[in-house]
Amino acid sequence: MLKHFNQIGILLCLTEISVIGVFGQSEPPRPPKAPRIAIISKIPPHAKRFPAIYSGERGTSEKSIAVDPNVEMKLCVLEGKLEINGWQRNEIRVFVKNGSGIVLKALEKSEPSGKPVWVRVTRGATPESQSGPATECLSGENIEIDVPMKASLNLAGRVTETTVDSVKKVTAKNVGGNIVLRNITGGITASTHEGDITVENSGGQISLESSTGNILAFEVSPGQIGDLFRAKTNNGAISLQQVDHRQIEANSISGSVLFNGKFLSGGLYNFKTSNGSIRLTLPHDSSSTFAASYGFGSFNYDFPLKVLTENTSDGGKNVVATMGGGDATINLTTNSGSIWIKKQ
Amino acid sequence: MNGNCFELGTIQAFLDGETAPDLSLKVTNHVASCDNCALLLAESEEQNSIVFSALDREFNSLVPTQRLWNRINESIAVEKSHTPFLQKIRLALLAVIANPSLAVAASFLIVFSLFAVVWSLRSDIANDSLAAAATAPLPLPMFPAVGSAPIAAVDNLRPASPAPLKIEVSNLSPEKLHKFVTNANLKDSNNRPKPQYLVDRTPRETALEYLPGEESYVKTISDLKQNIDARKDNILNPSSRVAYERDMAVVNDAITKMKEVVRKNPKNQSAKQVLYSSYQNKIDLLNSVAEREELMASLK
Repeated sequence: MLKHFNQIGILLCLTEISVIGVFGQSEPPRPPKAPRIAIISKIPPHAKRFPAIYSGERGTSEKSIAVDPNVEMKLCVLEGKLEINGWQRNEIRVFVKNGSGIVLKALEKSEPSGKPVWVRVTRGATPESQSGPATECLSGENIEIDVPMKASLNLAGRVTETTVDSVKKVTAKNVGGNIVLRNITGGITASTHEGDITVENSGGQISLESSTGNILAFEVSPGQIGDLFRAKTNNGAISLQQVDHRQIEANSISGSVLFNGKFLSGGLYNFKTSNGSIRLTLPHDSSSTFAASYGFGSFNYDFPLKVLTENTSDGGKNVVATMGGGDATINLTTNSGSIWIKKQ
Repeated sequence: MNGNCFELGTIQAFLDGETAPDLSLKVTNHVASCDNCALLLAESEEQNSIVFSALDREFNSLVPTQRLWNRINESIAVEKSHTPFLQKIRLALLAVIANPSLAVAASFLIVFSLFAVVWSLRSDIANDSLAAAATAPLPLPMFPAVGSAPIAAVDNLRPASPAPLKIEVSNLSPEKLHKFVTNANLKDSNNRPKPQYLVDRTPRETALEYLPGEESYVKTISDLKQNIDARKDNILNPSSRVAYERDMAVVNDAITKMKEVVRKNPKNQSAKQVLYSSYQNKIDLLNSVAEREELMASLK
């Protein structure tokens, strides 16, 4: 009997040792994870348009306020599609679909009429949540605003798709998103860091700036003598069609500059690009003096230009040439791009 | 002396004021009643007046006394000057030894001084022997050639003396030169051979030559870049960052190329124009990042 107990004891000991040996040892090291492969999208930065993100507020709000016809409205938008239209009524109407609440603040009123001449649109609590706003900027899926046609707008946006039509004056700044401006009569100042800027059928002094987008302007005219048209982008293209300003500055770092129109007598036009090309499409009766500096690039023309001076040393190429009477002065500067002057 | 009359000595002492008060009183009383003593006193006074009048110049003048003191002082000074130097030291040492703490300090100082003197003498002797062995075969000039190119050809030399310049190639081997340099006795300036030329090692001015207006561009870019570089990762999202770096590379390339062109031909106005335009592009590019940050901050 004692012998059996000994055998059982020995077996129990062996079993315990084996169990401890199997389960007691540390967990075997896992195989190293395969390194993540960064996938870089080939889509250009400015191709990323309206963001998919949305704050989740689901309220729909609408408010209006009677204002002076020459009202100035200030507004900031965090995210959303913003559409502002001028109308004949002396009233501001704000509609937000699936977004934040609305507060209309009259910052200043007109002395004779007693109506607001300076209005600020801010964020209010949503109808459902009734919670206080954390920011003063609107957000929503769609933000529609109607303002008097003589209104001036001061807009700021983080990620917005902005469209403004038929107002007097617009100042718009976007971190990201396109800006489309139509029928603006009293001048435009627009800038976006990621997105395109389009200006159509507008007038006044115009300044357009984009970091990584294209700039397109057509059928644009000055409001008064001396109004300047300025367009600048870092790596986008600048396309100007029928821009009637007498003074134009268009500058791109790595994009092209395209001009299709006519140079006015006495005008001053500066087109610069570092790495892109400059293409001018002009009517056959143009009268201009060209001063082209094209570094390591090339200079080509379809017109019978009268070359006044020319230097073809590599890196410092330049040419001064006239066409017609040479009334307008056109300065063309590129480092390594090409310059083309073509007939319409 | 008759009766109570006083002697002549006592009368003289009375006249001189050397008698005691009691005796002076007795003499006075006696002279008043004694005609002989009164006569004697009168004679003595007459004699004193004659003597004092004769010796008045000597008694009333201080010159002889001052002269005497001067002579005494001179005699003391002469005697001191004639005292031997060793005797003076001995006297000083005796005065020092009289104080035990000063004596201990002085002994330590003496031992330390002796040790220092012995140590320095030993070093000098060793250096003298090494220098004598090393400098004996060395001829002038001082700057021999290393390899085939003389040092004078690569360094700025200026003459150490108004003597005419003379640059020659030495025939010394590098080992001897090494010995000469390592064993040179820098302390013994008298035995050291005088250099014929001195090598001017002052750093040359590396001031960059800027075009007119270029320096302000460079400084502005430097300031902007310093501010932007630290924060651009937080400001720009990846796609914008790629675009920014690409544009910056384009601008930098343009600046580099145009600077080279302008350096070759400073009169090339066209290249200058492109260069300035590129600088401005760079400033605008950096500014766009700052403006973006500002706008984002205003929308929070």
